[in-house]
Amino acid sequence: MTTQNATTGLSRPPLNGLHAERPRVEWKQLGDAEIPARFSGPTDEGFRLDHCGLADLSALPRFGLRGPQAAAALAERGYRLPDEPNRCRIQDDGSRLARLSSTEYLLLGSLTDAGQRVSMTAQDWATLPPGCYSLPRQDSHAWLVLTGASTARVMAKLCGVDLDAAAFPAGHIAQTSVARIDAIVIRDALGELPCLHLLVDSASAAYLWPALLDAMQEFDGGPLGLDALLSPAAA
Amino acid sequence: MKILHCPLNGPRNISEFIYGGELKTMPDPATCSDREWADYVFYHDNLPAVVTEWWFHSASGYWFLAERHTLTDEVLRTFDPGELFRQRVEFAHAETPS
Repeated sequence: MTTQNATTGLSRPPLNGLHAERPRVEWKQLGDAEIPARFSGPTDEGFRLDHCGLADLSALPRFGLRGPQAAAALAERGYRLPDEPNRCRIQDDGSRLARLSSTEYLLLGSLTDAGQRVSMTAQDWATLPPGCYSLPRQDSHAWLVLTGASTARVMAKLCGVDLDAAAFPAGHIAQTSVARIDAIVIRDALGELPCLHLLVDSASAAYLWPALLDAMQEFDGGPLGLDALLSPAAA
Repeated sequence: MKILHCPLNGPRNISEFIYGGELKTMPDPATCSDREWADYVFYHDNLPAVVTEWWFHSASGYWFLAERHTLTDEVLRTFDPGELFRQRVEFAHAETPS
């Protein structure tokens, strides 16, 4: 078994310390960080993936941009923009582009390329074009993903907004309070599998992770590692 | 729970919002008196009437305006500040030698 401290020079996503306390966690490198590969056996995690699982994608790159020229700058880089605020659009490479207001955007890296494209975009914009302001999200926000058929019922316990797929279809975004923590909630799908991305304050994530797991208990939910997310069921 | 309609995010629990004070016209900070600036920053009219107020939706970091009757607490309308503010306000200042 490797531990999160086995390799030096890697970034440390905010929840890794919490994950390391779990007895059977195994780690895997994703980009420049380590991420839990699995928390328990593949059978358990396969079930959770389909029904009620929670994974930590905080190792993947994410980057925000706002300003009157933000849309033009993103379009110039080949990103396809959502048509209206509070919508998210999947890009060809699997990265996600979320529009949070009329002039604010959030880029989420893809599992397929370990977020390289988004990471490169963020690096290229070390000096931003006029009319654009960067909103670094890598350290400020943790990125969780809730998977499976029970996601909306879990969230109904924690959130005042109706996140059922009928009222909140794929590609919709709710910026709201989840278990009293401000969160950006994005409905998405991993293949056919429904999921909700949750972007929350990184310092509060150590509270939200166990709060979500607690809410998931009645649905036989539990934590998921990267292996389950990369399994054919989630492809 | 009271519900407030955010122009960006739609109806949300009032607990997601923070009150930002009455909308007032900002005096020119370079030329106004201390009294005028203090009046702008600290003092409120507190009229029992329909008042236009700043509100902040915490989860999205979004400031907007609401017309609210301060006697009945009825919110008549909420709207994006872009309806009133078309340009970014720049605060030019001259360095004073110390």
